Amino acid sequence: MSPIDRTPPRLDRLRIPPVALAAGFAALAGAALILVSGHDPLSAYAEIVRGSLSPESLPDTLAWATPLVGMTLAAALPLRGGMVNLGGDGQLVIGGLVAALAPLVLAGPGPFGAAAGLALAALGGGLYAALAAWGEVRHGVPMLISSLLLSYPAVGVTSYLARFPLRDVATGLPQTLMVPLDARLPVLTGALNAGSLLIAAIALAVVVFDRRTSAGYELRMRGKNARFAGYGGVRLGRQAVGTMFASGAIAGLVGATLVLGSQFRFIDGALLTPAYTWSGLMAALLVGGEPVGAILAALFFAALQTGGFAMQRETSVPRVLTLVLQAIVILFLAMRQGIGRRT
Amino acid sequence: MIGSLFTPFLFQSAAQAITPILLAALAGVLCGRVGVFNLALEGQMLAGAFAAIVGSFLAHSALVGVAAAMAGAAAFSLILAYGATVFRGDPVVIGIGMNLLASGLTAYLLRVVFGVSGTFSDPGVVGLGRIAIPALAGVPVLGWAFARQSAITWAAWALTALIGVVLYLTPVGLRLRGVGEQPEAAGALGVDVARYRIVTVLVAGALTGLAGAQLSLGAVSVFAEDMSAGRGWIAVVAVMLGRNNPLYAAAACVLFGFADAIGVNLQSRGLPNQLTDAAPYVATLLALVVSHRRRSRFSQRSRKPAPTAGEAAAAHRRGGSGRKA
Amino acid sequence: MPEIAAAGIVKRYGGLVANDGVTLSAERGEIHGVMGENGAGKTTLMNILFGMQAPDAGEIRLRGAAVRFRSQIDAMAAGLGMVHQSFKLFGSLTAWENIVYGAEPRRGPFVDRRAARARVAGLAARHRLAVDPDARVGDLSVGVRQRIEILKALHRDARILILDEPTAVLTPPERDALFEVLKSLAAEGRTVLLVTHKLHEATAITDRVTILRDGRTVATLRTADTGAAEIVRAMTGRSVNLEVRKRPRAPGVPLLRAIDVTIASPSGRPAVDRVSLTVRGGEIVGIAGVAGNGQSELVEALVGLRKPDHGRVELCGRDVTDADVPARRAAGLAYIPEDRAAVGSAPSASAADNLAMGFHRAPPLARGLFVDPAAFAAWALALIRRYAIRIANERVAVGTLSGGNLQKIVVARELAHEAPALIAEQPTRGLDVGATETIHERLVAERDSGRAVLLVSAELGEILALSDRVLVMFEGRILADLPQERADEQSVGLLMAGRGTEPG
Repeated sequence: MSPIDRTPPRLDRLRIPPVALAAGFAALAGAALILVSGHDPLSAYAEIVRGSLSPESLPDTLAWATPLVGMTLAAALPLRGGMVNLGGDGQLVIGGLVAALAPLVLAGPGPFGAAAGLALAALGGGLYAALAAWGEVRHGVPMLISSLLLSYPAVGVTSYLARFPLRDVATGLPQTLMVPLDARLPVLTGALNAGSLLIAAIALAVVVFDRRTSAGYELRMRGKNARFAGYGGVRLGRQAVGTMFASGAIAGLVGATLVLGSQFRFIDGALLTPAYTWSGLMAALLVGGEPVGAILAALFFAALQTGGFAMQRETSVPRVLTLVLQAIVILFLAMRQGIGRRT
Repeated sequence: MIGSLFTPFLFQSAAQAITPILLAALAGVLCGRVGVFNLALEGQMLAGAFAAIVGSFLAHSALVGVAAAMAGAAAFSLILAYGATVFRGDPVVIGIGMNLLASGLTAYLLRVVFGVSGTFSDPGVVGLGRIAIPALAGVPVLGWAFARQSAITWAAWALTALIGVVLYLTPVGLRLRGVGEQPEAAGALGVDVARYRIVTVLVAGALTGLAGAQLSLGAVSVFAEDMSAGRGWIAVVAVMLGRNNPLYAAAACVLFGFADAIGVNLQSRGLPNQLTDAAPYVATLLALVVSHRRRSRFSQRSRKPAPTAGEAAAAHRRGGSGRKA
Repeated sequence: MPEIAAAGIVKRYGGLVANDGVTLSAERGEIHGVMGENGAGKTTLMNILFGMQAPDAGEIRLRGAAVRFRSQIDAMAAGLGMVHQSFKLFGSLTAWENIVYGAEPRRGPFVDRRAARARVAGLAARHRLAVDPDARVGDLSVGVRQRIEILKALHRDARILILDEPTAVLTPPERDALFEVLKSLAAEGRTVLLVTHKLHEATAITDRVTILRDGRTVATLRTADTGAAEIVRAMTGRSVNLEVRKRPRAPGVPLLRAIDVTIASPSGRPAVDRVSLTVRGGEIVGIAGVAGNGQSELVEALVGLRKPDHGRVELCGRDVTDADVPARRAAGLAYIPEDRAAVGSAPSASAADNLAMGFHRAPPLARGLFVDPAAFAAWALALIRRYAIRIANERVAVGTLSGGNLQKIVVARELAHEAPALIAEQPTRGLDVGATETIHERLVAERDSGRAVLLVSAELGEILALSDRVLVMFEGRILADLPQERADEQSVGLLMAGRGTEPG
């Protein structure tokens, strides 16, 4: 071992938090893009802030943040152990469809339908994600790719089911029948429903798991050095399957809360259009899966995206710009961490 | 039923489906050879497809469109070229970030530059002509496949051969193969590892641009948001299955191309496209399972679990940033 | 005028002075030995001569002219070649591709394969370095790989060839063949710098030897005029205390057993060939052998990281052949692995996290499913204190520690298990004298408290000083089981070379 040169990189000496630096850089790049479109960057950014953080828009931001935080947690959990779940979309739609069907199929009193829908959605999403982990553990098929590839048939099949056999023919749209009133998640205020509480509880559970449980410790050690964890007595195969099950279960629950909380039926494409999976993955990647940081990043992205609606409405700058800003933030941080690593 | 599937049309549509995947896979092979795991193929292709439309629309020339695609995708690849080498970022994170950037940026520019969302087509966009070689027309299979294909399809196969030749017969190819396998040893023998990596990633970027041009100017002259539609990920798998060998990767692409074409064929017989669209992905998944099962019979004597991609990337990162430190 | 000369070379690593005014001079056509014990500064000096590291002070002259190498590429251009201890080869490429890499003969835009093969075959024939140009390097034995490394240097027409401990990985016949090659190279007018710490090698083929001790040149001697005793005195100088005071042994019941363990290897010859061994409580059993003779595979089978193709493993009287690592640890096994950074620790994690592994599921560190961070910290601080690990606090990432302190982290954690059986693999590799002594004392203390210790080491001195019984492993088999009284450097060294074709 030769001694390590400890000269800090120049950026560190400035003591600007890296996330702020990345956000600043993204804001500059975004400003250039807004100028290209012939608009005023400052007023566009002002609309983003007003449209996300002002008292009247804050509930919308939180409502938007609910699934995003959920998918962030689904991505963060495996990432903490050095694994990547790219199949969130598949797990999300499975959860959504299961939740839409369960209350229709399983007759039960009042909230039973909702509870069954949530539980089965978690089970479905979890098992589907665990399949990818099992493939890697037993057959060495890399999970990074298999989780993504499994997503496509899941999306295709659920889409087919919603369009053909399970379609609500009365509406003429590609969607399933409405879930009964008493199987829907109770509304808290305006845009917020009990689904937000559920996701908040999961977030708390993930943070506690990460910081205060033996299994969370084992997962973190795997992320730092999987060979060390295996040598120290962690059962890596079991851990991979279990972690992916939990990840998929959270994704499935996100689908269920969207269906039972706001859409009340499975609408083809409705769960995927906002690209929660990828935004969530980015939020988690930003901080290497550390749950608290990931949740904060997800809230930041949610504010950005909610503000994007206002920006598009008021200044006609396309709101897809916010996706570009997110991508720039993550690319900037990926490289900046590299600079920091270059000791 | 099975026999009636294999019509000349099937071969033609398979050849067409193979082209973009093959070009992207060649790009992935080159990157893999120099030790840069490229997960950004999907986004690079999309960037290329958009640049092709812009170029063709502005100059009313397919050729300019193709050139713009190659230049645009190569420029986009600067992120990976420098991010994964000079800045030592994690290629997995960079790849995912690039895919999102391409998706968002093309959608944004589509609205800003052309004022439309979803898809863009315009009479001013000149698509690629199809090359017909009469002598080939009579030959079964090959004749069917290449009956009416764009120049890019021809180029893709020529490039496959060319890359094979460069990799295995030239000094540059030899050095390239060494750089990916043992960067330290290559550096010790005077090869500038970072430069090899950067140039290779940029050349690969130009190839993905060609793939993108085929998407937007090949069969139809149109740009649609996210029109790469997972083909880049299939190319990533083809690279894995082909173990960074251009010919094996091409073979994998042929398999996916036929799965795609058969899907389209079944669709024309009334199967819903939601199901048939998944065909190439399922074929890809099955190919992965089969190949890893075969491989594991020989190499998995040890009970050590295979590292996940994230772990592999982390190991790569550690190796890349100077194991000695 | 000497072919190569170094004067006043100084190299510091932090507080450690690896080279402290080293002088060395070798003539054209000379085989010049560079000798010294581990840590004397031999490898550092060679890395400096070859341009891999810049000296903090001092001068290198090549045929009288001062040179300053910015990198090994400069050194190669100036006519130096080096064969490192760990080879730098491309496993998936063929022998000829490896040899011409970076300096390929060309025809038009292509590699001139025919010329390249002919060149390699010609060099190989002329220097009697038997190498099949078209073999894939990954499939070749260590001896052949070493020949490829030499051919790499010769392809670039190296006038000065540096070999760093080239015989450590060779069988005796391979070693003899290598020496013949070196002699013929010297006869051609090339200069060979042979780094070694083995006396008989120096006396066998060198013209002169330069002896380093503690980073200084202590002597340069003409081999023919020098007795072996004189070299030894120069090398050791002070008396190194490898003697470890031990109580007489009192072996108890067998705690760790291997019965007929066989592990196949891709090369066809089994990596481990029907190995049986027993380690009883209260004894240290040492496995001696040249690295790569199946020791690592055997250990992996014992700890559960690899499934043997045949045979059984027993721990404390229980058959654990099919048990995985956690089950074996639970059954009473602790393990200090060979590679402390890649296996034995998570370098980017804190000392507290590293020291908690294996203790994190039970009180005091855990209560039920939950862990107690305060208990993690207290536990870590206690171990840090007990082992005198130099670290600012328990939150520091262990990757920033020196090799010795990192190894102490690993040892502290494994010994804290108080497991009946302990496997220690190269426990002091690369450590300074102080850390080595601490770890030796701990291993003996384990033995004295009635535990079974299996020690695997490539350092014969360590094996002989610590072991109650010495097993010698060669080509996957155990050739001998000697009690400490009968195990001396002579007899064990002989066995390590496969029953010794000549005195060691």
